[in-house]
Amino acid sequence: MHSSTRRAAGIMTDVHRRFLQLLMTHGVLEEWEVKRLQKHCYKVHDRNATVEKLEDFINNINSVLESLYIEIKKGVTEDDGRPIYALVNLATTSVSKMATDFAENELDLFRKALELIIDSETGFASSTNILNLVDQLKGKKMRKKEAEQVLQKFVQNKWLIEKEGEFTLHGRAILEMEQYIRETYPDSMKICNICHSLLIQGQSCETCGIKMHLPCVAKYFQSNSEPHCPHCNDYWPHEIPEVFDPEKEREAGISKSNRRSLRSRQH
Amino acid sequence: MLQKPESGGLPVPQAKGEKDGGHDGEPQALTASQEEAPSPLLQESPKEDLRSVREEGSAEPALTRKGARALAARALARRRAYRRLNRTVAELVQFLLVKDKKKSPITRSEMVKYVIGDLKALFPEIIARAAEHLRYVFGFRLKQFDRKHHTYILINKLKPLEEEEKEDLGGDGPKLGLLMMILGLIYMKGNSAREAQVWEMLRRLGVHPSKYHFLFGYPKRLIMEDFVQQRYLNYRRQPHSNPPEYEFSWGPRSNLEISKMKVLGFVAKLHKKEPQHWPAQYGEALADEADRARAKARAEASMRARARANARATVHRW
Repeated sequence: MHSSTRRAAGIMTDVHRRFLQLLMTHGVLEEWEVKRLQKHCYKVHDRNATVEKLEDFINNINSVLESLYIEIKKGVTEDDGRPIYALVNLATTSVSKMATDFAENELDLFRKALELIIDSETGFASSTNILNLVDQLKGKKMRKKEAEQVLQKFVQNKWLIEKEGEFTLHGRAILEMEQYIRETYPDSMKICNICHSLLIQGQSCETCGIKMHLPCVAKYFQSNSEPHCPHCNDYWPHEIPEVFDPEKEREAGISKSNRRSLRSRQH
Repeated sequence: MLQKPESGGLPVPQAKGEKDGGHDGEPQALTASQEEAPSPLLQESPKEDLRSVREEGSAEPALTRKGARALAARALARRRAYRRLNRTVAELVQFLLVKDKKKSPITRSEMVKYVIGDLKALFPEIIARAAEHLRYVFGFRLKQFDRKHHTYILINKLKPLEEEEKEDLGGDGPKLGLLMMILGLIYMKGNSAREAQVWEMLRRLGVHPSKYHFLFGYPKRLIMEDFVQQRYLNYRRQPHSNPPEYEFSWGPRSNLEISKMKVLGFVAKLHKKEPQHWPAQYGEALADEADRARAKARAEASMRARARANARATVHRW
């Protein structure tokens, strides 16, 4: 006998539908963009209603999406802890969302890059190393010049991030593919010691090797003047980043690129 | 990607409600009701399983252990089949959404090949449920685009946005703008334009066929492949042309998503003139508007009739 523990599904209105459509168009959005999007949808379809709290708004939509095995998932960017949102597939899937946007050889290029990224120590794979695998791709033969363009396409579509000639996974890819990565690369994938989610970029303990996301480090060691490894208790040698604060960010008005160059990549 | 969900495809401001009827006049939508609530099609009914189990149980007053096991096995199989059906419906919804992002029509055989598989016999029910999800959850209408070839597209049912409501949140504007230029040229040249004419116009805009453009990528690929595949443009060889020459005309999707009057208005604005400045095109556009209004009226009447029939049927079901 199976009892339905499913919560009662919420009600969809045009406000929610517009929100979903636009979120789908963008693939992934930062929290401030999501809030702006939500306000926009209310303004268009239900001008006089009070804008529901974002968390409740999204939970409402997710209860409806449950029967479709998709959900609006919230994550944080690995480098600076910015909250992001994407519509992801709950059922295990490979790179299916990408599958219709890209040709077979392009998808294979992504898989090769993904593997290099997961295997790497830093979470980054160099352009050179990825391009050297071009001969091994399935499907139509691809020249290196073309592969460079394809990598740029991945960046534009927010599957990869590029920094100084090296590529890592965009937060969107991590949200979408964590399940797939867990099942496909269970041995080489890394996990954060604090949140136990997939880790691509982060800091490592030099003694025992455990890893932590930069935002997890920031939260865990917040206002701790003498940080120690949570596992082996050795002194934590890396710079502790600041916890992401959306208010502070808007005031300071520092551009994203500025902040990224201030923070050195640690591993 | 040419998805611009606010307007269903092309960014020209549209009169309210005009889009919905489409140009073909026949309501081929798979759902006729316009209510907010999900249709009975979507009701999860694990209770149904239990009810039928109980019914079967009461028919056999003395349930042996073997009988009970067989009963439980049947109920389990039924639940599994039900779950599998739901799963397939969900996958089809995702498949349709992802495919539609590329704006290429989806064929029935693709759906069977990639999603439905051996549940092919249940195709009508699966697609009906998927259509209902698409309508209720996302505000899309699944429309049978071509009855002969069983192709489908998604049409945005949400109301088109006013100018001031349109925030530029997306990045497809430039590509659609380029398409508008081409549609405009085609229309002004009498509903078809030679390939050479199209490229000449684009060259004047600094767009060259094989030169990478920061907004359009490779224009030749965008126009000759993407726009044609998405049915925004037709690309045909001119009959009796030697050496062979090719021409562009509006594709069926352009006819669905935008009207001659709107394109004429766009061209007029570009030239800082009134649409009436081109009497031939203006007359043609007026006739087109009349056609669309008639088709829309037919579609609405038919939908209302269908909704009434549906409501009656629903009442009986409860």
